[in-house]
Amino acid sequence: MTVQPPSCVAVLDDDADFAAAVARLLVRQGLEASFFTKPAALLGGMMATRFSCVVSDIQMAETDGFTLAEHLRARDPCVALVFMTAWPTTAHAVDAVRRHGGLDYLEKPLDESRLIVAVHEGLAWSARKWQVEQATGAFTRREREVFDVLVKGHSNKEVADLLGISVRTVEDHRAAIVSKTRANGLAQLVALSRGEG
Amino acid sequence: MLRAFACRRADALLLPAYAAGFAFLHWVALPWGGDGFFSLWYPAAGLRFAVLWRWGTRLTPWLMATELVVDALTGQVVLAGPDVWHDVLGVIRPALTCGLVLAALHRLAARRRGPHLLPPMIFGLAAVGAPILTALLVQPIQLILPRSQSTFGHGIDLVIALCSLVVGDLLGILVLAPLLLSLDKVIARKLTLNLPRLTAWPVLEGGGVLAVSTFASWILWRAGMGVQAAPGLLAGAWIGLRFGQRGAWLAIFAQVVMLLPYSAQHVTYTQRLGLHLGLASTVIVTWLAGSYCDAQRWAQASLDRRNRMLFQAERLKTLRAMSVAVIHEISQPLSTLAIEARHLNETCRDASPEAAASAALVDRKARELSDMVRRLRRFGGRDVDEPSPVPVAQLVQTARQIVAPELRALGAWLDADPVAEDIFVQAQEVELTQALVNLLRNAMAAHARVAQSESDMRLDVRVEGSEVCLEIVNAATAADVSGNGMGVGLAIARTIIEAHGGRLSRRDAPGQVRFLLFLPILGASA
Repeated sequence: MTVQPPSCVAVLDDDADFAAAVARLLVRQGLEASFFTKPAALLGGMMATRFSCVVSDIQMAETDGFTLAEHLRARDPCVALVFMTAWPTTAHAVDAVRRHGGLDYLEKPLDESRLIVAVHEGLAWSARKWQVEQATGAFTRREREVFDVLVKGHSNKEVADLLGISVRTVEDHRAAIVSKTRANGLAQLVALSRGEG
Repeated sequence: MLRAFACRRADALLLPAYAAGFAFLHWVALPWGGDGFFSLWYPAAGLRFAVLWRWGTRLTPWLMATELVVDALTGQVVLAGPDVWHDVLGVIRPALTCGLVLAALHRLAARRRGPHLLPPMIFGLAAVGAPILTALLVQPIQLILPRSQSTFGHGIDLVIALCSLVVGDLLGILVLAPLLLSLDKVIARKLTLNLPRLTAWPVLEGGGVLAVSTFASWILWRAGMGVQAAPGLLAGAWIGLRFGQRGAWLAIFAQVVMLLPYSAQHVTYTQRLGLHLGLASTVIVTWLAGSYCDAQRWAQASLDRRNRMLFQAERLKTLRAMSVAVIHEISQPLSTLAIEARHLNETCRDASPEAAASAALVDRKARELSDMVRRLRRFGGRDVDEPSPVPVAQLVQTARQIVAPELRALGAWLDADPVAEDIFVQAQEVELTQALVNLLRNAMAAHARVAQSESDMRLDVRVEGSEVCLEIVNAATAADVSGNGMGVGLAIARTIIEAHGGRLSRRDAPGQVRFLLFLPILGASA
């Protein structure tokens, strides 16, 4: 398997003192963390460093946290997001988690232990996601579809019915998937889909 | 049913006083009596009306009996002979009809709400309705219990007699009853005796209008047209519309004082009836104009009050927006502070005990402050408050935090034992906290009125079956029942609590006001 890049956390808040304090807190937890006060600076920083987890404020002067989330995901689908806000609303909380794939939505003043748990979860999620991306990056679109249905436990026949293709074609795609991932069986494919490979 | 009419201790003084007043006013009315039984100016009817209005229609049977006794003692009615029942009915009839009309109107006003059933209008309708019903009942009584010798004659004589009955009672009621009722309010100190400030202009204007109308009447009289009511009527309407019920009453009084000595002199009965019919119209128009003016003033005042309340609401909205902004501004630096304080606390553990203690204190205070900001934001920052499981302990804590500054200003203390953390209610937290805060504020207001009291307020929470009971206790003096507030806070609290499926009850103990707030516990087996 490919060696994972080091886990690095980015903290983004337009209040520099606060961003620095959160970053220091994470460093004290043994994590590698750096802070930014501008979304543009964070996106620029991504060129040099890969951030596994971004802890971002929602209301910022230039770009709001949700727009930034779109940009981040476009550049790196494996980045985990944790949102913070001083203006908590139910609508925002739902948006943060459902639409923008945030792992948590933290209210300021921050609950430290919850932040730390969220960041650790984010790093773990990012690592799994990265594994899957690495393994399935070489798939064609059709292979990807077959893989997604297969790992849910469906037989070749069911996959063929679900995708509207012949069983023979499914078998071909399956052979290609196994050869690309070098997996030796369905169980390993399932583990791979969960980032455990 | 009959108990409602029972004689109370206070009535023992009232009824003899009424008897004396009734006899005196009956005697006063004699010069205006006609060929029949009735006087064309009968102030005793005003006394009767005022007593029934003030002390309630439950006194009706007692007034009937009192009047019968007075009439028997003064020889107005002879309790013997073949017509005794008819005469007795005739004596008790006016009090009975007055009581019936008042009771009917009050019942109507309680069922229906409308501008024509407001208190001043009920007064006017009853003042007109009672004499008319009295007159209308004369003939039915004659039919049921025929008198051997008819009191009122027949045909046109009967009509004139009944007209005079209505006019006499009407004048008596409209002239005397408002005066007596105002006097009663002054005695009960509901109304301060601030006689209308005698500024020059109203006196000049009212007096001038009256003088001009009297002069016009005099000219008409000199021209041989008799005493005409029109000038007095116009003057009454003017004064009533300009100066309200008080001015109207003064105008009525002045006109009655001018006309009654004249009509008591040697004029024929028909002339007297004509004069008093005119006077009755003047009195009604003047009184209605005065009532209308007062109603307009009242409406204007309530409009002003509503405007002030709107302004207040607008200010509260701004204050809320400001407090939300302040919470936001604080929460940002506070986050930094709390993180760094905790770090400081952890790194200072091995430092000198003094430095460690300081760092621990800073850390604890920063954490408390963070908790408070989060809680306050829940209270003031959310627009939509969805019902959710809320720990009662949290409700109590937030409410106590909110009233804490007022308690400090009052120099008072609110006793409360720690609340078990596992009692939850399904609630809109902001609203329910508001209800609790309102009740606590009421308790504080009552507490402030009990001077140098040793006892403090208490807030107890206990579980009673499937409900949680929050008990708010404060000391109160015996006289301290109503309080100075508008009762809006309590009404809001009750509405909120009932909307949460709970109930609010008041069980006072001697010297204590106790409000009990019951709420269904979430997850309790009902």
